[in-house]
Amino acid sequence: MSDTVGIVIVSHSRDIAKGTADMVRQMVGSEVKVAFCGGDPDGGLGTNVPGIIDAINDAWSTKGVAILVDLGGAETNSEMAVEMLEPERRKMVVVCNAPIVEGAVMAATEAAGGSSLEQVRAVAEELTAG
Amino acid sequence: MTLQPDTFKSLVKVAAEQVIASAPELTALDQAIGDGDHGTNMKRGFEAVLSKLDTIGAQPLDEAFKTIGKTLVMTVGGASGPLYGSFFLAAGEALAGKKLPEDLADVFGSGVNAVSARGRSHAGEKTMLDVLVPVLETLKADAGREDLIERVRTAASEAVARTAPMQATKGRASFLGARSVGHVDPGAKSSCLLLHAVCSTLEARQ
Amino acid sequence: MLETSADGPFVTGKVRLVHAVGMHARPAVKLTKLAKRFQAQISVRASEAADWINAKSVAKVMALRAPRDSIIEIKAHGDDAEAAVAALIDLVATDFPDAGS
Repeated sequence: MSDTVGIVIVSHSRDIAKGTADMVRQMVGSEVKVAFCGGDPDGGLGTNVPGIIDAINDAWSTKGVAILVDLGGAETNSEMAVEMLEPERRKMVVVCNAPIVEGAVMAATEAAGGSSLEQVRAVAEELTAG
Repeated sequence: MTLQPDTFKSLVKVAAEQVIASAPELTALDQAIGDGDHGTNMKRGFEAVLSKLDTIGAQPLDEAFKTIGKTLVMTVGGASGPLYGSFFLAAGEALAGKKLPEDLADVFGSGVNAVSARGRSHAGEKTMLDVLVPVLETLKADAGREDLIERVRTAASEAVARTAPMQATKGRASFLGARSVGHVDPGAKSSCLLLHAVCSTLEARQ
Repeated sequence: MLETSADGPFVTGKVRLVHAVGMHARPAVKLTKLAKRFQAQISVRASEAADWINAKSVAKVMALRAPRDSIIEIKAHGDDAEAAVAALIDLVATDFPDAGS
């Protein structure tokens, strides 16, 4: 089977990030790579750039990676993490403007069908656009 | 005023120590209108900067700025990491081929623009930009003046105080709406602390 | 179940939604994923009055909000349309079993 877009979930809380990833795996299946990170570098609530970079690399696919975030800091840190990737990977990663749980499930469903990164992002963002 | 390598190293040291010492105050401000982690986050970031002080002191200035920026990005956590990190990364980028103090306003301005772009924010929204932008104006308007340092110090203090009556429209504090009024912004405060530490060190070396 | 229209032949089918809580998120994901395996254009609707929606759009299928005992209508157009309709009807009729996929 051809590669599918990877999904990264970034929350301020590790529990929320892990729970969202669990839901995606259970609802959509295991054919889509899902990685998550949550919490600051000391394990408190927050988000951290090195953790996001690791998650992107864990979920990496030749089709790219779509990131779903919860609150503002998660978005800022995710954008920063993307900029710190190797240049050729940077344009293969998008941060979706979508609710974290619904967006992750919808993005993964779209990814499972072999869709492109842009299609996956568009589906995740359908909820915000509508 | 010229910037010697060991002056820069002590600037970084004093500024980092100032932020670390002020962590409880920053946290208290952030508990009022944010999620209460600004002090701890900044402390963690600047402790990491201190641990690299020898490397930073030995690097050319533009590289040193980028090391500081990257260290803050990787260790602070929260939104302040990318915001402060972007300031130093962009300022380091802008430093290449420039001279201090002649091009200070240019370099500082590049950092301010990067913060604005990263946070998709502008002055007037109760953020660190409400200190950085007035300080940039002072650097531009008063460049070359004998009392530039004193003017920067005053500009920063006054700018922090002006954030208290503002209503936040960006960041976590914006969720509070009108309830954010009456509290000084923690990011503005930490920017002011850093600038004051730099001013004091430069004055002591004059 | 063969219908013809100006756009060419459509394969259509109807099935009763037996899922206890109707078309919620998990069945919607399964239906969408299955629909995406086919080349055919596939549309669904949950009542005769409703607009046809794209069965491959998870957002739209989730938004169907069809209650239990709704009649789900499926229509498909394309080479594998017949297989697609049969597979989707089977999925709904067997109450969205967990596939080994």
